[in-house]
Amino acid sequence: MRRLSSVFYLALLACLVTVCPATVLGADPVRGVTDTEILIGQWGPQTGPAALWGAVARGTGVYFDLVNEEGGIHGRKIKYFLRDDGYQPAKTKAIAKEFVESIGVFGVASGVGTSTGMAARDYLMENKVPWVGPSTGSKHWTQPLQKYLFAVYPRYSNEAFLLTQYTVEKLDKKKIAIFYQNDDYGKEGMEGVKEYVDKAGMKLVAEIPVEVTDSDLKSHALKLKESGADAVILWILPKHAAMILGQAKAIGYEPQWVASSTLSDAPLMFKLTKGLWNGVVYANFLSTESPLAKKYMEAQKKFAPSEQYTGIFFLAGFVFVEPMVEGLKRAGRDLNPETFVKAMETIRNWNDWLGHDCTFTPEDRQGMKSVYLAKCGPDGNAVKISDWLTYKGK
Amino acid sequence: MDMKRGYYEDIELCRTWTSLFGLILLVCLFIATPFIIGDYNLYLINLIAINSIVAIGLNILVGYTGQISLGHAGFFAIGAYACVLSMLKLGLPFVVALPVAGFVSAGFGFLLGLPSLRLEGPYLAIATLGFGMAVTQIISHSEFTGGHMGLEAPKMSLGPFVANTSSQQYAVIIAVAFMMTVAAVNLMKTRVGRAFRAIRDSEIAAEAMGINVLKYKTLSFAVSAFYAGVAGALMAFALEHVSAGSFNLILSITFLAMIIVGGLGSIMGSILGAALLTYLQIKLQVIQEAPIIGPLLLDLSRSYFTPEGLPNIQSIIIGSIMIAIVIFEPYGVNGIYLRFKRYWKMWPF
Repeated sequence: MRRLSSVFYLALLACLVTVCPATVLGADPVRGVTDTEILIGQWGPQTGPAALWGAVARGTGVYFDLVNEEGGIHGRKIKYFLRDDGYQPAKTKAIAKEFVESIGVFGVASGVGTSTGMAARDYLMENKVPWVGPSTGSKHWTQPLQKYLFAVYPRYSNEAFLLTQYTVEKLDKKKIAIFYQNDDYGKEGMEGVKEYVDKAGMKLVAEIPVEVTDSDLKSHALKLKESGADAVILWILPKHAAMILGQAKAIGYEPQWVASSTLSDAPLMFKLTKGLWNGVVYANFLSTESPLAKKYMEAQKKFAPSEQYTGIFFLAGFVFVEPMVEGLKRAGRDLNPETFVKAMETIRNWNDWLGHDCTFTPEDRQGMKSVYLAKCGPDGNAVKISDWLTYKGK
Repeated sequence: MDMKRGYYEDIELCRTWTSLFGLILLVCLFIATPFIIGDYNLYLINLIAINSIVAIGLNILVGYTGQISLGHAGFFAIGAYACVLSMLKLGLPFVVALPVAGFVSAGFGFLLGLPSLRLEGPYLAIATLGFGMAVTQIISHSEFTGGHMGLEAPKMSLGPFVANTSSQQYAVIIAVAFMMTVAAVNLMKTRVGRAFRAIRDSEIAAEAMGINVLKYKTLSFAVSAFYAGVAGALMAFALEHVSAGSFNLILSITFLAMIIVGGLGSIMGSILGAALLTYLQIKLQVIQEAPIIGPLLLDLSRSYFTPEGLPNIQSIIIGSIMIAIVIFEPYGVNGIYLRFKRYWKMWPF
């Protein structure tokens, strides 16, 4: 009996390994496009540690409501599916499969997170699902180039390059230090800063890393003061930004602070720092003062009146998806992934949105490479201090 | 019900023709599954199988040996990275990299097992918790492991056969899961398994009987970590990408919840618990699509909660199901299964 079962198990395993079943996919003409509807999905963490960023996905929902109210796209309304992945890649991939198989979406809009998006990327690309505007500045979206994936979020390194350039050339600061988060986010920022500094033949006076979990920044502040930097570039989380400004002030060190776009919510930062944010220069990639932004916030009052978070992340849900809607409009009534990609590639220096100079070409899927700089005013208001600056490198 | 009267009866895998028949039926079902259900459900089954492997391993440690671990996401991560890195950097084929991942993870399990000789209960929980968090911190800060951005997993390939789709991965994952399950069932029937249980029931008594507590406790950690490592390696392929952020504390706790809900000290319970929690986690994402309940909850959420209301209802549902099982079914889902089995054994009498 025992021998029988062991022989049996071996045979069974051989069977299982050799069995290589094929799946049969449904063969409808264009997935996710009907006479009256275009189906679009998005994942975003509504629960768990990254839930704050979930506002992006809800912003997109309001944006689609607005597009539908204005008549939709070539007689079709957008039907939007928002799924919570709790920032867990395993769930994201399940959602991607659900989108393609159970719902049959035409495309995917934005989606928060690098690891979550990476779990779904290859699957979406194999199934020719157009995906526009993943909401991180990761290089994985554009390198290697994916035919159906269009990145909108400017790369962190490009942004850092532009910020440093401005600090040195326009603000006339020569002793630059960087205070960065010790992970990929911070390092990509550092990469851009170094790129400029090397090009200008300068040297950073200090590179101070901070861990995400650090909660005492006194020694960091002292190191910055010792370095004698007259401008400090911040590539960190909002809580750390608030802490370092407080600590530096306490030891009598007040350089020009220069902050990344993740710290671009000036009113919020002003409140967090109890006014110390006054005078900080920061980068931004969506124009909060454009008439469009006003229109979008009115849409929010109408379609999502209970929304509590209406800051930069919520608006990001609009900006990442605007090029997608433009692409859908340009693709015309005859919509399928191929016509959509062709239409997206006709978008050149497009400016009818919250961002700037959106350009997609067959060789370059990084849609936006521009930021503008702003300064925090004396009562927490944002004062635009530069035009759009565009990264000219590769 | 399951009265065993001799050693050989105890170590038999299939005691009756009925159970052998049931096993064959189950295997046929496994083979037939990919032809019946779609890619999405297959992916769900893959996740269940992977989580089952971790749960079985964790149950060997927690349920059978009476130790505790809040750091299994760490072993899971080590397995995933060891497999991907050994394929990318050393160019090992998948068939070699998979056991390598298991053994690397087992090595760390052995190391973590050493302090367990002195630590007990909550102290051990904290030590393992620290281990799990340290692993993700180190991985996310090392250039070698790709930092926060993680690594792309190469294709899972067995010689010329490349597993790309969910159904092809299913064949590999189910085969491995099946082997690991049979191995665990067998292990528990050997001297080693009995030593584990003796340590769980009383360390002093076990030592008095001549069981080398040092050896078996560290062995238990190593075996448990081996299971988590292999599962982690499979997960890397199911997701096609590994990154440190996904192996967090919540994952460790989810693993622990799986075996508690499923039933401590039982292989079947581990599988049932893993299946139940994985299924709920994935399926509750789409609760608003469910008939009747879905729209009802959507309305409730719209009128009384913040916009994040509905997703949080899912957490409430998972939580209540877990609490209900622990209160009403002390042996977990496995208890329900056993009662069901006994009922059918006697049927129709």
